[in-house]
Amino acid sequence: MKKLLFVPTMLTMAVLISACSTVPRTTSLLDQTRSDYVVIQNNPNVERYAPMEMQQATTAMNLANVASDKRESDADIDKLAYIAKDKIGVAKEVTKQKLAEADMTRTTKERDQMVLNQRTNEADQAKANAAQSQLATKAAQADAADSQARAAKLEAELADLSAKKTDRGIIITLSDVLFGTDQSRLNPNGMATAQKLADLLNQNPTRNVLIEGFTDNTGTAAYNQELSERRAGAVLHALQDMGVASNRVSTRGYGKEYPVASNATADSRQLNRRVEIVLSDDTGKIVQR
Amino acid sequence: MKTNSNQYGLTLCFAAVLLVAGCSSMKTPATADVAVSHAAVDDASTAGGAEYAPLEMRTARDELAQANTAMANKDYKKADDLAKKAQADAKLAQSKADTAKAQASASALQSDIQVLQEQINHANQ
Repeated sequence: MKKLLFVPTMLTMAVLISACSTVPRTTSLLDQTRSDYVVIQNNPNVERYAPMEMQQATTAMNLANVASDKRESDADIDKLAYIAKDKIGVAKEVTKQKLAEADMTRTTKERDQMVLNQRTNEADQAKANAAQSQLATKAAQADAADSQARAAKLEAELADLSAKKTDRGIIITLSDVLFGTDQSRLNPNGMATAQKLADLLNQNPTRNVLIEGFTDNTGTAAYNQELSERRAGAVLHALQDMGVASNRVSTRGYGKEYPVASNATADSRQLNRRVEIVLSDDTGKIVQR
Repeated sequence: MKTNSNQYGLTLCFAAVLLVAGCSSMKTPATADVAVSHAAVDDASTAGGAEYAPLEMRTARDELAQANTAMANKDYKKADDLAKKAQADAKLAQSKADTAKAQASASALQSDIQVLQEQINHANQ
């Protein structure tokens, strides 16, 4: 009787136990590990950047899950879950590293492009500066050539006027023969000379003239003073008529003072009857007698 | 009677020898695993694990020390389990250190590029 009851009870228990053993065992560490795993599964970057580490984490996760399915001891399940959790961690870390490296590659490219652009700009700027310099040099050269040409022209004109260089500067002498018998008017030759002087002054607008009149020693001092002034005035009026501004021309009469010859002969007296035109420097300054 | 107890004793000894022999088949893999985890801890240390993953490093070192003790006590199964844990922790520590360094480099490069941009802006004023 006892024997008969024993066997079915045993059978029932066996069935119950085997039914229970289809439910896998889980531990809290395994649960945590599984949820960590889901996170990396759902992150496409992990598969993309750390495929090898992902594979290792998967293998470890599977081992832990198998142990759970086989209802192995908590200790054994935890050993495998612990390893799997670390491997999941490694997969995450490697993904982060690779993302940082990709970022650096991109940034390096950006930096190289910036440097290249800047260098290109600097090169273009240097070229532009060089071109500008060249233009400036050419302009300066043209100016210099121009100045030289004008100086040469002035030299030629002064030579044509028989100008002399003295310690007061350049002096052009208009002799007695350039005045008519009415002794204070310029004759045609005198006018021609005045025209040359007017041209010179028009081409050299920074220069001025002082016209000084002189006579010989015949006649009174007063007469000679007036005559010398009238002669200087004749030249002034001629220049004005030829377009020279009056503020550029001044006159003085010295009468019989400052003779250049003895006044003893007719020839020497003629020499003393003259008008001297003192040319200023190129700033307009005239050295007074 | 004496023969029976002798036989019993002999069987017990034989079983004990088998038991010990069965356990000592773990000795070779345990030795190997302890050596591997020792190397892993060294590598993690060199990579700066102590600075960037101090918790994992400390854990790995403790587990390694315990594994060595277990080896000395001929508890090879325990030594092997601990060695495996130590190895996993050391690798995690190393990868955390590598991440920290990579992120620091990326950050430094970002700063450099900002400085460069400022220099360029200044030069082009």
